Amino acid sequence: MTRLTSLPPAQAKRLAEVECPDFETRPWVTGPSLSQRRVAIVSSAGLVVRGENPFRGRDPDYRAIPADTRPDELLISHISINFDRTGFQEDWNVVFPLDRLNELAAGGVIGSVAKTHYSFMGAIDPTQAEVHARELAGRLKSDHVDAVLLSPV
Amino acid sequence: MSALAHYLEDEGIPTVAISLIRPQTENTEPPRALWVPFELGRPFGPPSNSAFQKRVILAALQLLERKSGPVIIEDFPDDDPREQPDPAWHPPQVRAAAADGSAEAIAAQLEREIQLLRGAHDRWLAQHGRTTVGLSELSMVDCGRYVADWVRGIAPSSLRDGFSPILMLRFAVDDLKAYYLEASAAGAAKPSSRQLGDWFWNGTAAGAAIIALRAMGLSSEDERLKTVLGNFMVPGVRVAMMS
Repeated sequence: MTRLTSLPPAQAKRLAEVECPDFETRPWVTGPSLSQRRVAIVSSAGLVVRGENPFRGRDPDYRAIPADTRPDELLISHISINFDRTGFQEDWNVVFPLDRLNELAAGGVIGSVAKTHYSFMGAIDPTQAEVHARELAGRLKSDHVDAVLLSPV
Repeated sequence: MSALAHYLEDEGIPTVAISLIRPQTENTEPPRALWVPFELGRPFGPPSNSAFQKRVILAALQLLERKSGPVIIEDFPDDDPREQPDPAWHPPQVRAAAADGSAEAIAAQLEREIQLLRGAHDRWLAQHGRTTVGLSELSMVDCGRYVADWVRGIAPSSLRDGFSPILMLRFAVDDLKAYYLEASAAGAAKPSSRQLGDWFWNGTAAGAAIIALRAMGLSSEDERLKTVLGNFMVPGVRVAMMS
């Protein structure tokens, strides 16, 4: 588990002390009930559709993952080696829970699932990703997304 | 993740973040976050357990319906049951008894191991219908040879346009790890990531080869080689176990 006490002390210290942006505002947007929301996944797992441009170095931009992507088409190209990948190998929903979202939509728990999902790569200076995240917001709005599920690795 | 939440919410998109490192989330204060007590790499918990995964997702999404905030940081209550070792799992037997620990012996055994594991990897493919091998776009034989040549000190040129030799090596190593770990998990048993990692790093020539690459990088005077091989080959938890 990622209780920091379960990690080697040096790694736990590094993770706990990662420099985080100090934002002056606290944005907060509300919306309709869950059953009416359109949900997109935005991951920081360095996900890339097979054959497309993998993340290199500390790329701060993002990759698009169409909703009709098959599990055998999705790869992790994250630079970090300090997280488990065997869960994703067995079942992509561990990192990219598209099947679960589709089931929740089919059951009426959420309204619908976005036509495109996205991945950044963590282990970057998050302020470098700001321009890309703000541009991504426009793409999400054009897909009528009003709920983003952000998932790290 | 929390910074992305801030930027997207600031642009008018409601967000909820899964948190794996609680102190980072507490420092960044996203609008809404669900901390989960799972290992890094498993934000939605155990593989092949749709009911558990759905509980995690719902616990997160339901934070979107809260009327008061920001900041909301909730804790998911349950541990990942797949973190427990499976005593029924038995790793493939691949190690050559005669390996003498030299770079050439490790490299040669790595190339043999890839052939030895082919049947197990085919079983994985039949069982799961997919592989996560593919970043290097090399066949596993070519991938093994590329990594083995680095271990031999040959430093081969890149085999893909637009990829530097060191980037090619990083992706080839990622593919090697994926191939071995998939092959070793073929079958009905449900090994934990720790079991799989113990086998890979302690029981295979591939693990020995990657550890040798790290040592090669750390002793190199080439700063890029030192950085990439020193930091992006062997996980920190394994480095800690070796010291």
